[in-house]
Amino acid sequence: MKELSELNLPENLRYTDDHEWTSSEGGTMKIGVSDYAQDQMGDIVFVEMPEVGDNFDKGDEFGTLESVKAVSELFIPVGGEVIAVNEALEDGPELINKDPYANWIVEIKPSDPSEIDQLLTVEAYREILKG
Amino acid sequence: MQAQKKTVLYGFHVKQGAKMASFADYDMPLWYPTGIKSEHLAVIQNAGIFDTSHMAAVTVKGEGSRELLQHCLSKDLNSCVGLKKSALTEGKCVYGIFLNPDGTVIDDAIVYQLQPSKFMIIVNAGMGGPVAEHLQQSCDKDGIIVEDLTDLIGKMDIQGPKSALILKKIIKDPDLLFDGLTYFSFKGGLGSCTSSMPVEMIDGTEILVSRTGYTGEFGFELFVEVDQLKALWDKLLQAGEEYGLSACGLASRDSLRAGAVLPLSHQDIGPWPFISNPWKFALPWNEDGKSFSKDFIGADALLEETEADHTLPFAGFDPRKIAAGDTTSVIDSAGEKIGRILTCTTDMAIGRVDGEIIGLASGEATPEGFKPKGLSCGFVLLNKNFEPGEIIFLTDGKRKLKVEIRVDVRPGRSARRAIKTMLA
Repeated sequence: MKELSELNLPENLRYTDDHEWTSSEGGTMKIGVSDYAQDQMGDIVFVEMPEVGDNFDKGDEFGTLESVKAVSELFIPVGGEVIAVNEALEDGPELINKDPYANWIVEIKPSDPSEIDQLLTVEAYREILKG
Repeated sequence: MQAQKKTVLYGFHVKQGAKMASFADYDMPLWYPTGIKSEHLAVIQNAGIFDTSHMAAVTVKGEGSRELLQHCLSKDLNSCVGLKKSALTEGKCVYGIFLNPDGTVIDDAIVYQLQPSKFMIIVNAGMGGPVAEHLQQSCDKDGIIVEDLTDLIGKMDIQGPKSALILKKIIKDPDLLFDGLTYFSFKGGLGSCTSSMPVEMIDGTEILVSRTGYTGEFGFELFVEVDQLKALWDKLLQAGEEYGLSACGLASRDSLRAGAVLPLSHQDIGPWPFISNPWKFALPWNEDGKSFSKDFIGADALLEETEADHTLPFAGFDPRKIAAGDTTSVIDSAGEKIGRILTCTTDMAIGRVDGEIIGLASGEATPEGFKPKGLSCGFVLLNKNFEPGEIIFLTDGKRKLKVEIRVDVRPGRSARRAIKTMLA
């Protein structure tokens, strides 16, 4: 298990207390799970993703991550419409363990961009991990 | 809260960066940074070592010991070894269950006959005390000594097809050890658990080597005095380097044993009657399938039982799982609740090809370049019987997972292979 100091937490991303990250670019947002989440879960063996076109309100469950040991629900950090899912994860769920930031899970078009401001900065997320 | 207990290998686990978790009051490794999948596959293809020193040992010795075990264990010691069902003798061991009079489970165990009137019994973590007490209370004879050796015996397992090649490197006379060491036999001894066939490591350390395990794969359970365990672990790690040996945590132990249809005591067997389950071999059935070859504690209750729930193995169609627990259940195709999930994990060494389960080690049936995605598998406890091939559903209220009732799960398991072929 990684120590806090060993975790890769990019500065330019925003986080949630469910250990997800988001990156906003040109009116869309990619969502994935943090290095902490993948390290805690261990080997990810299956990613259940939504369909393109699905709409979610903030906090809705939009998919699940399965490790050998457990199932974790994924909650949408910002409401919106799914415009893409990372199809590479269907055959390569372990990609999330290899690089949780390159391997995003869904891309959405946020319905209320002001929700983005409520996401955690890397400093705030780091504080949560310190517990 | 009781303080977490640590095994003598705790320092190794932490230093390696293992993810640790509490199991039966012991702080144990779930997986190392190598990851569950790699650990699981190491045991299928090469070998893995497991810290199992949290498990407990009890010894029974003195005249009448055999009769006491015959009275308490669910196996007929006079008819239990091999296909011919010969009697348990020195150098053989047997898997059985200790039952309450009502047929419910106290614990499962492997009983080793060390000498004519001396037995070592390996039970689950934390069960040394309760099993020793049960044996003492069931004993009406003087001269039988029951001792709980919890935390005094060092135990580790080496499992996987390369196990014998690795073990060979640290044993003084490996040819002598491996000669005739069939499945469920053992040689050697340690401390107060000596047998008439001592086995030594190259450095002279006493060891007991048992051709058993909890993965369904070829391998051994190893016993030394507890202060020798760390040295044994380190020696095997070093000896196994050239063979792709991996240290393995409890998570891969769980996924390997589930794929091998082996029960976890207090989870898949427990406070309900030990009957209508996949482990009929643990009871002394006569050929008629209606009576037992001996009387023992719990026998009457099991023979009279008519309403017991059915414990059935299952496998899914992809790696997805629904966890066991109070918030999940099993439903039939009509949506009616029919029971609960006992174990649900993912066997990472298998996948489905045209609907059939194929393993990495299925021999000719394994397609070239086969990369299994893993299948969920485990056990359910249902209020009615289902036949192999029938479909049931696991659900947590939101997700619903289709799974198939199975007789067996992971094909091509190596546990029973002849030791000679594993040394070639």
